[in-house]
Amino acid sequence: MGADESDLSLVRRVQRGDKGAFDALVLKYQHKLVKLVMRYVRNPAEAEDIAQEAFIKAYRALPQFRGDSAFYTWLYRIAINTAKNAVVSRDRSPIDYNIDRNSDESYDMQGRMKDAETPEGLVLTDEIRSIVNAAIEALPEDLRTAIVLRELEGLSYEEIAAAMDCPVGTVRSRIFRAREAIDRRLREVFEGGLGRTEELG
Amino acid sequence: MNEELDSQLSAMFDDELAGGECELLARRLSRDEQLKARWGRYAVIGAAIRAERGVRLNARVATGVSVVMRSEPALAAGAVRGTAGARWWRPLAGAAVAAGVAALSILWLRTQSPDGSSVVVAPPLAALPAARAPLPGARAAERHAGDAGAAPSYVAPPAQRGNAAAVPAPELANYVVAHSMFSPPVTRGTLLSSFMTSESGAAGAATVLAAEPVSDPPRDAQSRAQ
Repeated sequence: MGADESDLSLVRRVQRGDKGAFDALVLKYQHKLVKLVMRYVRNPAEAEDIAQEAFIKAYRALPQFRGDSAFYTWLYRIAINTAKNAVVSRDRSPIDYNIDRNSDESYDMQGRMKDAETPEGLVLTDEIRSIVNAAIEALPEDLRTAIVLRELEGLSYEEIAAAMDCPVGTVRSRIFRAREAIDRRLREVFEGGLGRTEELG
Repeated sequence: MNEELDSQLSAMFDDELAGGECELLARRLSRDEQLKARWGRYAVIGAAIRAERGVRLNARVATGVSVVMRSEPALAAGAVRGTAGARWWRPLAGAAVAAGVAALSILWLRTQSPDGSSVVVAPPLAALPAARAPLPGARAAERHAGDAGAAPSYVAPPAQRGNAAAVPAPELANYVVAHSMFSPPVTRGTLLSSFMTSESGAAGAATVLAAEPVSDPPRDAQSRAQ
C-alpha cells in the first residue's frame, strides 16, 4: 500500500470522467480545507465559500494534476491561493495572529460571535462533538487509543502497531470498530432526531 | 452492510489500503451513495476528534460543490495531461520513431543501388585507400565478379589462377620484405611462398589488368551483363 493511493485512485476516476469520485474527495477534505482557509478569513461561512471555490478550481484543474505530489498537497496550494485572492479582492485583512489560540475560551467566543448568523450550524456542530466525545469515552481502551492515535496524532497504522505492540491488521480492525461504534451513535441521532444526515456530507 | 467492505473503506480513508483494492473500492464509492455517506461521516468523526475550532461539522461545502458540479462537464479522458499512467508509452514511441527512420533509410538506400537490386555493393577497390596497396589477387576478384555478370555482393576471395598476381613483382617483393619482420612466422612463410609461386606469372597478370578500368567495376560489370 502506498501513501495517497486512496486519493490517487479517486483522482484517476475523476480524470476519466467519473464526477461521483470527486464527491468522495470533497467529503474527505472539506473540514481540513475550511480550517486551512480560516487562517485567512474570520467568518466560517466565508471560509466555506472559499473552500467551495477551491474545490471547484481543483476540479477544473484536475487534468493538469500529474500525481507528482499528494493530492491534498496540491489541493492545499489551490486553497491557499484562493484564500489569498479572496482576501485581496474583498479588502479584508488576514486574521490577527495575536489572538491567543491556546485560550479555548477566547477563541470559542470569537468563533461564536462570527457564527451568530447561522445558529443552527453552531448547535449542530456542538451536538456532533458531544456525541462523538461520548462515543469515544464509551469505547474499550484499545479501540479508543487506536482511533485517537490515528485521528488526533495522525500516526500511520504501522506506527500505531509499534506503539500498541500489536500487528498492523489488529490496528486496522480496532480503528474500523471504533469508527463503527461512533458512527452508530451519530446515525441514531441524525436519522432519528434531527434528520440532517445529508448535511453531514 | 458488508463488514469487510466497511473495514476496507475505513482503511482506504486512512490511506492504508492496497492499490488494487483502492481501485475497486473507489469505483464502488463513486456510485454507492450509502457508502459515500459513511465515508463522509468518517470525515466528520475525525474532525470532531481533532476539535477543529471554527469548523462547522455540518459544513455545506460538499453540498455546494455537488450543486456546482452538476453543471460542470465531466473531464474527458483525453484531456488529462501527463498523468503517471499515461507516461509509459513515451520510451516506446521514441523507439518506434527510431525504428521507422532506420527502416526508411534502408529502403532509400535500396532504391539508390544502380540496378535496383537489394544487394549492397562493395565499394570499388580503387576508391579505397587500402585498395591502392598492391595486394595480390584484389583485381582478380573484381574481374571474377564482372565475369559473373552481376554486381558483387561482397569482395570475393582471390581466384587462385596461375596469373592471379596483379601486382608488379618488384613492388610485391618490397611489400613482403618490408612487412616480414613484423609478421608472425607462419604468416611470413605463407606470404613468401605465395610470392615465390606467383612471381613467374606476374608480368602477364599486370598486362591483363591494365586494360580494365579499375575505378568503376560495378558499371563495368553491368555493361558486360548487357
